[in-house]
Amino acid sequence: MDRISKEIRENILRIAHHSGHGHIPTCFSIIEMLRAVYESMRYNPKQPDYDERDIFILSKGHAALGLYCTLARYGYFPISDVFSLGVFGSNFGCHADRFKIPGIELSTGSLGHGIGVAAGMALGFKLSGNSRKVFVLIGDGEANEGSVWETAMVTANLHLDNLTILFDNNRSQSRCLPVTNPEEKFTSFGLKAMTVDGHDVSAIKEVVLCPVEGTPRAIVAQTTKGMGCPTLVRDVFAWHRRSPNSDELKILLGELNETSV
Amino acid sequence: MRRQFKDTAIRLAEHDDKLVLLFGDISVFLFSEFKELYPDRLLNIGICENTLISMAAGMSAAGFHPIVHTIAPFVTERSYEQVKLDLCYNCLGATIVTCGGSFDYAWDGATHHCYTDLELMRMLPGMEVMQPGSKKEFDTLFSTCYNNGNPSYVRIAADEHGLDLPVEFGKGVLIKETRGANLTVATAGPLLGNVLSACSDLPVNIIYFHTIKPFDRDLLERFAGTRIIVVHDAFGLFEAINATCSVKAEYHGLPDEFCCYYGTLEDIRRKLGLDAAGIRCAVETTLLQDGNKGSQDAQTT
Repeated sequence: MDRISKEIRENILRIAHHSGHGHIPTCFSIIEMLRAVYESMRYNPKQPDYDERDIFILSKGHAALGLYCTLARYGYFPISDVFSLGVFGSNFGCHADRFKIPGIELSTGSLGHGIGVAAGMALGFKLSGNSRKVFVLIGDGEANEGSVWETAMVTANLHLDNLTILFDNNRSQSRCLPVTNPEEKFTSFGLKAMTVDGHDVSAIKEVVLCPVEGTPRAIVAQTTKGMGCPTLVRDVFAWHRRSPNSDELKILLGELNETSV
Repeated sequence: MRRQFKDTAIRLAEHDDKLVLLFGDISVFLFSEFKELYPDRLLNIGICENTLISMAAGMSAAGFHPIVHTIAPFVTERSYEQVKLDLCYNCLGATIVTCGGSFDYAWDGATHHCYTDLELMRMLPGMEVMQPGSKKEFDTLFSTCYNNGNPSYVRIAADEHGLDLPVEFGKGVLIKETRGANLTVATAGPLLGNVLSACSDLPVNIIYFHTIKPFDRDLLERFAGTRIIVVHDAFGLFEAINATCSVKAEYHGLPDEFCCYYGTLEDIRRKLGLDAAGIRCAVETTLLQDGNKGSQDAQTT
């Protein structure tokens, strides 16, 4: 884990502690995916709505804090703004509002929505003859929702090769309804699917940048909930929606710093 | 009215290359002409209403004027959250055009009846809700709303009220005003035909709404001092009236039970007391309760 990934995670921990909010483990599982996307797509933090930008949608909206801290790292706003998370009057909610935060393309929260909207954007760009690309990040838990697979079928049928689905396979549904063999499932639904190490920014970028033709792409990112802090990984369900107190923050920051670079 | 949808779409598409139709595998044959003229702008997406709505939101974000078309219960009741969040909460404009509202698919039974759509859509912030009762009303209302940037719901009906009325989005129509009448009958959509047959010679006022939201407060307030009976084969109008201003309104419409009958639309309306005879009986009963004989001096517009 490099310095940037650690810095983003440290901010997540400090803001979760400060605010009393945050889905820390699920935020920790997507940081490298977010970085890979933002280091591959066309965006401009100084002009977030510019016409030719590519689109990123966080369909698993409860990981908003992870996205906020990543957007701050890539220049959309100062990280200090995010410390108001969840406060009445703050722009930063536990689920993002596209009218309040630069860089947020869709207000999400309820699972299974972002992928369909992303498909509509991708179709729109193709009909316009536009080269803009759309990236959408969904979770394995989210993939319990039928709308995910409904949309997957449609994207393949419409040949939306400007759409990339990033599948955060952090196995959050292991206690409930596991989504086994996601690569096989996406392939059988007609998408070009591949599996990568979800914590290797370079590996993810390599597949994100690799051109595909005629089919949408599903990148199954093998990830670990709470990646970077063994306490979170070990007790992932207890930490699903917890924020650390002062003592726990020290422990988690210590664990994060000890994670090999 | 569905043919009018096709004709209106063809007319508008000629001048608007952002008009795109997303179909849930209905009306495809009817729209063959549209498909021939604009092959890239009619996409029969599939029987997947959640995705239809979400994709419409995405297409709106990409600069299009998407029109989703499928059967009313499946897109409003099943995909309510997609309409609520992807369209309304995200302020992404799209027009949902449905058929099969109320009991238009009478013979298909309760799975295909849909009387909640208007009220469900009305409750969503930012949503415009229309129940045209004629081809002319559909044409005017749809043309007004489809590209205004707001989410809109337009219900296509299997029948029509048979009147040629003035149409303006958001405006109700005064059908009949009776001097001194203390009872006003309010209705919406094609049922106006039965209401007029039932009440044309009764000492009542009749007001009609093709637009459920935004609601014509001015017209309602004019009759707010009278007792109001809402005659409607759906939910939505009664609630809109009560939400608009303080009125004494009652509802002659649907019971709190599924309609487990087949047959025709007329059969179902007769069973529910929404044929002309049933409506007349309800209105006369209300008149007698009030002791309201009013004046027979009716002026029909």
